[in-house]
Amino acid sequence: MNKLITILASCCIATSVWASEAKLETVKVGLDVPTVERGVGVMMDSCHSCHSMKYIKYRDLVTFGIDKQKVDAWRGDQPLDATLLAQMSDSDAMAAYGKAPPDLSLMAKARDGGASYVYSYLLGYYVKPDGMPGNHLYPETKMPDILGMSGATDAAQRTEIQSKARDIVSFLAWAADPEEQERHRLGYYVLAYLFVLTFLLYLVKNQIWARLK
Amino acid sequence: MPNRIIKWIDHRFPLTSFVKHELTGYPTPRNLSYLWNFGFLAGFVLMLQVATGIFLAMHYKADIALSFDSIQHIMRNVNYGWLLRYMHSTGASAFFLVIYIHMARTLYYGSFRAPRELLWWTGQGLLLLLMATAFMGYLLPWGQMSFWGATVITNLFQATPFYGDQVVIWLRGDYTVGDATLSRFFALHYLFPFLIIGAVVIHLVALHSVKSSNPSGIDLAAKDNIPFHPYFTAKDFYGLGIFLIVFSVFVFFMPNSLIEPANNIPANPMQTPKHIVPEWYFLPFYAILRSVPNMVGGVVAMGLSVMLFAFMPFLDRSRTPGGGRYRPVYRIQFYLFLLVILVLGWVGYVPPTDLTIIIGQVATLLYFGSFFFVPFISKAEERWLMKRGLPAEVTALIESETLEIAKRKLNPRRRKGEVA
Repeated sequence: MNKLITILASCCIATSVWASEAKLETVKVGLDVPTVERGVGVMMDSCHSCHSMKYIKYRDLVTFGIDKQKVDAWRGDQPLDATLLAQMSDSDAMAAYGKAPPDLSLMAKARDGGASYVYSYLLGYYVKPDGMPGNHLYPETKMPDILGMSGATDAAQRTEIQSKARDIVSFLAWAADPEEQERHRLGYYVLAYLFVLTFLLYLVKNQIWARLK
Repeated sequence: MPNRIIKWIDHRFPLTSFVKHELTGYPTPRNLSYLWNFGFLAGFVLMLQVATGIFLAMHYKADIALSFDSIQHIMRNVNYGWLLRYMHSTGASAFFLVIYIHMARTLYYGSFRAPRELLWWTGQGLLLLLMATAFMGYLLPWGQMSFWGATVITNLFQATPFYGDQVVIWLRGDYTVGDATLSRFFALHYLFPFLIIGAVVIHLVALHSVKSSNPSGIDLAAKDNIPFHPYFTAKDFYGLGIFLIVFSVFVFFMPNSLIEPANNIPANPMQTPKHIVPEWYFLPFYAILRSVPNMVGGVVAMGLSVMLFAFMPFLDRSRTPGGGRYRPVYRIQFYLFLLVILVLGWVGYVPPTDLTIIIGQVATLLYFGSFFFVPFISKAEERWLMKRGLPAEVTALIESETLEIAKRKLNPRRRKGEVA
């Protein structure tokens, strides 16, 4: 028994040590059209030149409810069914950064912590003592501080950057899992149906078993 | 009219007698608890996996240049493709959960003991088939964890004496996990479920020959056996409803909780993930593998940790009925064993540190110790229980059932297995 307590205790200690490694700022994404629309806007201005989103078509944005005129402005002369490919080719990006920027379609699902990881990463820039920009969450990053977090000095500026980051992350969360709202909506119907069905099956079972003396 | 059709069939095929023998007249102990629902649930999940899998295969491309994209095609463009895929990925976890509970029930109540050894061993074969199927299926999305998981596990075959390297190449069809590996894993992932169905039929034939065990661990006389249909069909369907509620919560509200985030990054042979973890259902075995410092030793230990269950009929030497129910020491052993498995699972999940390595090694020793000491403990426990006497209710039950069985033998008109 003593051995058991020792093991359990050491498990608890080890878990807490392990958990403190990653410090993520949690963010609650908004999957409403205005937030996602603002997110696409920031993405188009700040990320799209290097990062592709190859699983998202311009048509998907329109279907979701984003203003058609804005989408038309973003896509230029590309067809509506074109995917959001980066303006920079992978080889140019390799030459510029030494590393191809990752596709962002699934980014909100591809890191431990999900959307909160991306949010914390975007806000994690700071100026190192040698004057170079660094990132708390991902020190090896090659991406410049796009939102300007490391240079932001006053609180109002930081809040603005935070809300911008939240908009991007909300869009990325939608892009990684566009069916989420539909899935939840259907899920409630399925669960309601199953609760009724299971209750009826319970009554049937009881009625049949009542025959036994 | 329906009667005439059935008559016509019965002349040519034993339909009515089959239904009578296996369902409406199949004697089942009436004292079965809800823990006896899990065999039926495993059969249901198998069917669910086959059904969703066949439809997924219609849209999936087994080609390293296309497979990752084809999963996203299923998730985004195929009508209700996301539902098929999440049901299939959640179904894999559900399958293991149900099977592990099914096995835990068998271990707790000692259902593997005579005359059910063959039933237990066919189940062991099914577990191996299930593990192989799940492992090969996990490569198909061609994500980072798929690729590196398959690389790590196929590498283990280097432990094969003399031909290690050749066996690894033979399994992969290439020097590394690549297109050849993906194609063959897809072919086999489609084949294995049908082997599983065949093995399930054998498992059921064995079951219907020895009949279900029951919580008392005593062979019940006819008065305590009731027909499978309608009693247990009703009970199994009620259990199925509860299972589906839990399953749907995962499928609709948290399907990604069962998918490693790194598997949303396409496989990249040039970049090893920081921390390679298998799916939760392999974690305890993975922890055992990592706990042995020597690779060959680790592989042997991992193989043994899965296969040792097959030896339980020989290891458990107590004849006390009811397994953990009437055996206090065995009951404690059982719960400690569960705890050890949970600790091993946790050790397999976290990145290794000095502390977790030591915990893992201690837990590995305890895991094997749980099996190793069963023969001695069970024998000593039996002797102690004999001396102390079984609980009065068990003794009374044994006596009344023996009397019933003897009475039935005297009466030739009441055939064996017939329901009173």
